[in-house]
Amino acid sequence: MLLIVLLLISAATAAASFFARRRTVMEAANLVGFAGVFAVAVFLVAQVLAHGTVSLGNGFFYADSLSALVILLTASVALVCSTYSIGYLRDDERSGALGDDLSDAEQIAQLRMYYTLTPLFVFFMMFLSMANNLGVMWAAIEATTLASIFLVNFYGRVTSLEAAWKYAIIGGVGLSMALFGTIIAYYAGHSLAGSDAISGLNWSVLAQHAAQLDKTSMRLAFILILLGYGTKAGLAPMHTWKPDAYSQAPIPSTAILSSAMLNCALYGLIRFYILAGRCLGVEYPSHLLLLFGLLSMGVSVPFVLAQKNYRRLLAYSSIEHSGIMVTALGLGGPLGTLGLMLHMTYHTIAKSLLFLCAGNVQQHYRTDMFGEIKGGVMRVMPLTGVVFLMAMLAVVGMPPFSLFQSEFLILRAAFDGGHVLTGVLFILFGTGIFAGMLIHIGGMILGPRGDTAAVERRPWRNGSLLALAAALVVIAFWIPAPLFQLISGAAQVVRGQ
Amino acid sequence: MLMRLLFDLQFGDRIVTLLAALVLVLQIAMVAQGWIVAHIRIFAAQSFFLSMIAATIAWYNHAPHIYIAAVLTLVVKVILVPILFERLVVRMEIQREIEPIVNVPLSVLISGGLTLVGYVVAESFYRPGAAGLGHNALAVAISLFLIGFFTMINRRKALAQVLALLSLENGLFLAAISLTYGMPLIVELGVLFDVLVAAMVLGILVYRIRETVESMDVSRLRRLRG
Amino acid sequence: MIERLIESGAQLFLLLALAPLVTGFIRKLKAKLQTRRGPGIVQPYRDLGKLFRKSMVIPETASWIFTATPWILFFSTVLAGMMIPMVTAEAPLGLFGGALAVIYLLGLGRFFLALSGLDTGTSFGGLGSSREMTISALAEPALMLAIFTVAIGAGSTSMSEIARTAIEQHWRFFAPAQMFAFAALALVLIAETGHIPVDNPATHLELTMIHEAMILEYSGPYLALVEWAASIKQLVLMTLLINCFWPLGLQPAWSGFGALWGIGWLLAKLLFLSCAIVLLETTNAKMRLFRIPELLAVAFTLGSLALVSTFLF
Repeated sequence: MLLIVLLLISAATAAASFFARRRTVMEAANLVGFAGVFAVAVFLVAQVLAHGTVSLGNGFFYADSLSALVILLTASVALVCSTYSIGYLRDDERSGALGDDLSDAEQIAQLRMYYTLTPLFVFFMMFLSMANNLGVMWAAIEATTLASIFLVNFYGRVTSLEAAWKYAIIGGVGLSMALFGTIIAYYAGHSLAGSDAISGLNWSVLAQHAAQLDKTSMRLAFILILLGYGTKAGLAPMHTWKPDAYSQAPIPSTAILSSAMLNCALYGLIRFYILAGRCLGVEYPSHLLLLFGLLSMGVSVPFVLAQKNYRRLLAYSSIEHSGIMVTALGLGGPLGTLGLMLHMTYHTIAKSLLFLCAGNVQQHYRTDMFGEIKGGVMRVMPLTGVVFLMAMLAVVGMPPFSLFQSEFLILRAAFDGGHVLTGVLFILFGTGIFAGMLIHIGGMILGPRGDTAAVERRPWRNGSLLALAAALVVIAFWIPAPLFQLISGAAQVVRGQ
Repeated sequence: MLMRLLFDLQFGDRIVTLLAALVLVLQIAMVAQGWIVAHIRIFAAQSFFLSMIAATIAWYNHAPHIYIAAVLTLVVKVILVPILFERLVVRMEIQREIEPIVNVPLSVLISGGLTLVGYVVAESFYRPGAAGLGHNALAVAISLFLIGFFTMINRRKALAQVLALLSLENGLFLAAISLTYGMPLIVELGVLFDVLVAAMVLGILVYRIRETVESMDVSRLRRLRG
Repeated sequence: MIERLIESGAQLFLLLALAPLVTGFIRKLKAKLQTRRGPGIVQPYRDLGKLFRKSMVIPETASWIFTATPWILFFSTVLAGMMIPMVTAEAPLGLFGGALAVIYLLGLGRFFLALSGLDTGTSFGGLGSSREMTISALAEPALMLAIFTVAIGAGSTSMSEIARTAIEQHWRFFAPAQMFAFAALALVLIAETGHIPVDNPATHLELTMIHEAMILEYSGPYLALVEWAASIKQLVLMTLLINCFWPLGLQPAWSGFGALWGIGWLLAKLLFLSCAIVLLETTNAKMRLFRIPELLAVAFTLGSLALVSTFLF
């Protein structure tokens, strides 16, 4: 029941924003809607913790700990970003970034597009996390791509158009490969009894009978799914859309894309990994995953070191983190899977925080190039500066922040499992990223104050920033027991228990 | 004799193979074509033959749920999407496509090579008796996928790339039909809905590109680097 | 023995007599579709008769190639025509390798024609020869691939075998290999016989001539021979297309009544094919020369697909 309520609230929010006339109505609808979604998500987590899995509609909807975790993370990011976007878009309106030559009605129309597409985006992300049927999951992921294309193209500049086009085409091709993989997975399961009906593509049924699936087909299917959903997650070499999309979309959308959407893409990959692991044994899938994961980490190092644009820098960091998570998935075992789930949770908080801070900086300085900011952000915007620095340290894995713990777990999994080369490369690449981010972002934040104007009050934006920062700090030292239970439950699901 | 043919499974198989061959020829024609409007019409014809294949399979294998897939394909890919794109073309006043990146005779030869690859892949894949259709349709499906992929890389105009993407999805539809008699109905519905929305979204994007850069040539969109 | 002689004689007569009629019919129908009156159907006969009676002018710079070519062209084309099944599945002649011989004979004729175009030393001749060679470089492989596909399907390169197999297996045409081969052969037919969209023999403009440019210097009986050979080649290719793929009405063996039945069906199918050609010519414009390789590349790809798919089935 809660599952349907989740979907209904998101859909209702989208509808309300679509039919609203005034900006304040749209903002309120979004805020209230996402608050409701978050509350329901928390209830859902409670139910999943109590009963193990929640299922609805004769197995059409299915939520276990993994789904619940992804839903919870999506809901939290959406809530924080909706708070942030109120201040962000108001500032854009004031400063004319929406387009100087647009009339008032056109500006409201643009805002309406944002406030309608974002709940729709979140709707499909929720849908895919709870869909049992792999084909329906694919359709929902494709729908999230379609919903976010216009979010990337929000500002309508030539560069936004280019970013949206790349995103659409690369995403479209990737998802076609994923569809092909899904079809082949269906074919692999076709020989099972009674699979002509809808339950033939149901993940729960396939997972139970995974050992009987046809092996050649599953091999091909897994490769295609890895290429396809990996494109959505931003794994190298299919990552080229990420820097463009993340540097052109409005900041709240970027935050959602980089944390929630990433989680959902990985969710799809994980579901297939579980099937492939049970069917083919863990050797084959884990080799592929390690390959792509390490490749992603490696590819992002030079781009981080030689970067001139801080939004693209954050995008490459995001590519690196998908690489880390995929490596963790490939390493498997109790440590690897726990590390993966912890990393997913912590990364969501840290990455969205990073992007929100970047948004603050961009809106004040009106540029996203390091060269033009030249440093001293901390003196102009103390709160943003401090939080930015802290989040950056968290993201590169500096103790005592939580990402250090998850990355340490992953490294232990690597060395314990005998993947020495993986561990060494992991450390090497991580060091490279650490250096790059510290130099660039540290250089931007610290240093003497340039000659820029003082910053006016920004309650909405700073409020959301503070909330997330508080969460980041708290979670470094203490994780609530139910949350930890959820995370380890999700890790168990990944391990296949 | 005609009545007997309507129930003879072998004859149905032949018809399906024939239609699949036609679909493949149309895909190669799309590679060789220069006019955007011709692209759209070839795509419509290809989707039409695909829905005919689906209907034939539904008839000869007594699988009524495939009829629905066939009708949906007909409505979405043969009628709605081509109308959408033709309207777009009229609004944008497009002239002829410039040369693709690899010249036409070579692209056609490469498509022939990719068809071979498709046949080889289908051969390694196919388990006789699983769907009883012969591996021709699957081979054509994989070839469609590969040739569509190649065309996307080969063409510079945005709308041509979108049509190549859609023909790629056509290949996937054919693969689904030939492997497993189509996917569960709800999945087919979802996929077709996505195709329709994707066509609309991409169409709007193409229009915006044309407006902003005065051309549909996406090789002009290269400001974002690094 | 006598029967063989009668058969050969009948086929020879049919080749020689029917070829100009087909050309005339195509021209007349095209004119009608373009709302012109057009020349009469029997006009080519009149033209041939007139040309045979006229005197010849031979350029001083021409060598023996110039004088030999019309004869070589004519006889090789007629020989090729004797080797394909026209009325019954039994072709009168079955030289070294059937289908291969047909292809090479036609190729021989074309080779000499191209040489003669160069021989006269005029620029038009060279122009025509080079264009013709460009086209044939792609068209001949396509033709070969298509014929080999059919031959593999029949298990032999003997044209009679091919026709007999085509008669026996009714629905063979529906196999993709056959369809691709048919499409390739149809495209080659258009290219080799000088129809729009590849060539327009009605114009004598430098921009558009291919075949006409090569034979520009011929006059009198030599010109008659060359034109006749061109019509016979057209008939040969059309019959090849018809009898390999639609063998309806083709009799397996020679017999009196069977011959008449066969001739009747042949005429009907030629009529149908001519109408298709005319429709194609009227609805299309002539392609620019550098676009013709694209069309022929499609024919080549279709031919290779046809050949390959016989193995992959």
